[in-house]
Amino acid sequence: MGVWEIYLTTAMHGLVYGMLIFLVASGLTLVLGMAGVLNIAHAALYMLGAYFAYTFTQFTGSFWLSLILSPLVVALVAVLIERFLLRKTYAKGHVPQILLTFGLLYMISEIVRMVWGTNPLRVFEPPLLSGEIPFLGGTYPVYRLFIIGFSIFILIGMLLFLMRTRVGLIIRAAVHDADMVGALGTNVPVYLFAVYAGGAILAAVAGVIAAPMLSIFSGMGDQILLDCFVVIIVGGFGSLLGAFVAALLVGELQSYGVLWIPQLALVFEFLLMAVVLAIRPTGLFGEEI
Amino acid sequence: MKRAHPYSLVGSMLIFGFLLLAPRILPEMKIHLMIEVMIFALWAVSFNLLFGHGGLLAFGFGAPYGVGAYAAALLFQHFAGIPLVLTLGLVALLGFLTGIIIGSLSVRLKGAYFALITFGFQMFLYAIALKWYSVTKGDDGFSVTRPALSLPLAGNFSMANVVPVYYFTLAIVALAILATYFFQKTPLGNSIALVRENDIRPPFLGYNVYLIRLTVFSVSCLLAALAGGLFVFFNEFVSTAVIDMNVSMVVLLMAIIGGSDHFLGPILGAAFYVLVQNWLSSLTNRWFLVMGAIFIVVVLYLEGGLISLFIPKKDQPGGSAGRK
Repeated sequence: MGVWEIYLTTAMHGLVYGMLIFLVASGLTLVLGMAGVLNIAHAALYMLGAYFAYTFTQFTGSFWLSLILSPLVVALVAVLIERFLLRKTYAKGHVPQILLTFGLLYMISEIVRMVWGTNPLRVFEPPLLSGEIPFLGGTYPVYRLFIIGFSIFILIGMLLFLMRTRVGLIIRAAVHDADMVGALGTNVPVYLFAVYAGGAILAAVAGVIAAPMLSIFSGMGDQILLDCFVVIIVGGFGSLLGAFVAALLVGELQSYGVLWIPQLALVFEFLLMAVVLAIRPTGLFGEEI
Repeated sequence: MKRAHPYSLVGSMLIFGFLLLAPRILPEMKIHLMIEVMIFALWAVSFNLLFGHGGLLAFGFGAPYGVGAYAAALLFQHFAGIPLVLTLGLVALLGFLTGIIIGSLSVRLKGAYFALITFGFQMFLYAIALKWYSVTKGDDGFSVTRPALSLPLAGNFSMANVVPVYYFTLAIVALAILATYFFQKTPLGNSIALVRENDIRPPFLGYNVYLIRLTVFSVSCLLAALAGGLFVFFNEFVSTAVIDMNVSMVVLLMAIIGGSDHFLGPILGAAFYVLVQNWLSSLTNRWFLVMGAIFIVVVLYLEGGLISLFIPKKDQPGGSAGRK
C-alpha cells in the first residue's frame, strides 16, 4: 500500500469517528443553545445506546432491530430524566443543572457496570455489512462505509427538518433567543423537550452503530464526552454547523494524530481547542456572548 | 462589623483544641484521615473562593491541583535539596502562573461556557500527564520520599512519622485558609463579590472586571496547587489520578455538599466527603453510585448544603452565589 492510500484510509477513519462525535454532539449543542443547559449526562445516553444494543442483539439476534429498539428505550430513559429531575432545575440556573447531570453521569456509569459488568462487550456487525470491499486502490471495511453513509443520511434528514419545516424554524429561532420566541407566544419548553428527546435518540443511534466498530466498555461515555466538549467549544455553543465542522476536525486530528505521533494524539485536540479559544473565544461559528 | 456570636467563639476554640490534641487521642489510622480532611478542606476552600465568592464555576479545577501535585512530586524527586517550605512555595507560584495562563483565556466567558473551557484545559494537562511517560510515569505514577522539614533557628524535623506530618499540614492549611478568609474581606475581595453579583455595572464605576476575575482565578489556583503539593507530600505518591475527571468532580461535590454560600461550607463538605467515603468504601464498592445520588439529592433538596442545617442562610442578595 502506498503512502497516499494510508493517508486516505486514515482520513476515512477520521471521518467515521467525526460523524459519530457529531451525532452525539448535535443534541448536546442544540439543548445548550436553546436552554443553556449543559447536559453532561448526554454522553451516558450514547453509552446506554451501545449497551442496550448489546442486550437486544443477544435477545433478538438482529442488529437492525436493536438499531430501532435501543434508541427508543434510551429516549424513554432521557425523557424520564428530563421530566422528573432536570425540569426541576430550570428555574435554578446553570450551575445546579451541570451538577445534577454530572451526578447522573456517575450514577448511570455505575449502574451500567453493575448490570453489564466491567468487561468490554462486543456486538457483531450484521452479515450484510461485514468484510471489506475494494476502495480506491485498497480495501476498506464495509461497516465503516455504512457508518459514514448512515450518518450522512441522518445529517441530511436533520438539515431538512431544521431548515424546511416550521418546527425546525422555531427550534433555530429558540437557539438564537429563547426568551424572545417565548414572548411571541411559542411554548418553548415543549420544543425543548422534543429537541431533548431527539438528541437522546441521535446519541443512542451513535452508540448503537459505534458498538460493532469500537468495543463496548463503561468508560466509553467519558471518552465521547471529552470529544463532545471540545467539539462544542471549537464549533461554538449552539451552532450545528460549528459542531459538524469541529467534529470532523477532531475526528481527523485524532486519526492523523495516531498515525503520526501516537503519544500526542490526545493532546492535539485540546491544543486545537486552546488555539481556537485564543483567536476566537466564541468558537468558529458561535455567536457573541 | 458584627460581633462574633458567643457560641461560634466557644465552638472554634473547641475545634482548634481538638485539632491540636488530635494526634494524642486518635489512633494512627484516624490521623491519616484527619490529614486528608485538612488537605481537601484547603482545596475545597480554594475552589469555593472562585465558585462561591467569585460566582465562577470551573469544571477544570483539577488542573491547578494536579499541576501542584506533579510539581511537588517532581521537585521532591529531582531537587531533594530544596527546603520543604521553599518547594511548597514554588508549587504555589506555579499554580498561580497556571491560573494566569488558563484564566487569561477563559475568564472572559461565563456560566456553562467558562465551566467547559476550564475543563478542556484540565484534559489537556491530563493528556500530557498520561502520555509523557518518561517524566510522569503516566497511569502507573511514581512514589516520592517525603523530605524532612528544616527551619532556620529551629533545626530539622523528620517527617517520617505521621504526627509531624499532621502538625505541618495543620500549620500550612490553617495559614492558607485564614489568608483566604482575610483575602475575601479586603477591598479586592469585596470587588470580586461585586463582580459576581453584577458584571455590567462595575466597569462604569471604574472596575476592570476581566482583571478582577483573573485575579480571583489565579489566587484560587495558587491555593489549589498548594493543596495538591501537600497531598503528594502526605501521600508520597503521584499518578494521573490527581488530574483526571473525577478529581474535579470531588472538589465540586465537597463544596456543594458543604454549602458554597458560607465560607465554612466547603470545610464541612471536605470532612463529610472524606469520612463518608472512608466509611462507605468499607461497606460497598459502589461508591460512585452513592456519590452521584448524594449530588442529585443535594442539588434538588438541600440547596444551601449541610452548613445551612447549622447556620441559617443569610438574607442578603449575596447569598445566591454561583446560581446565575
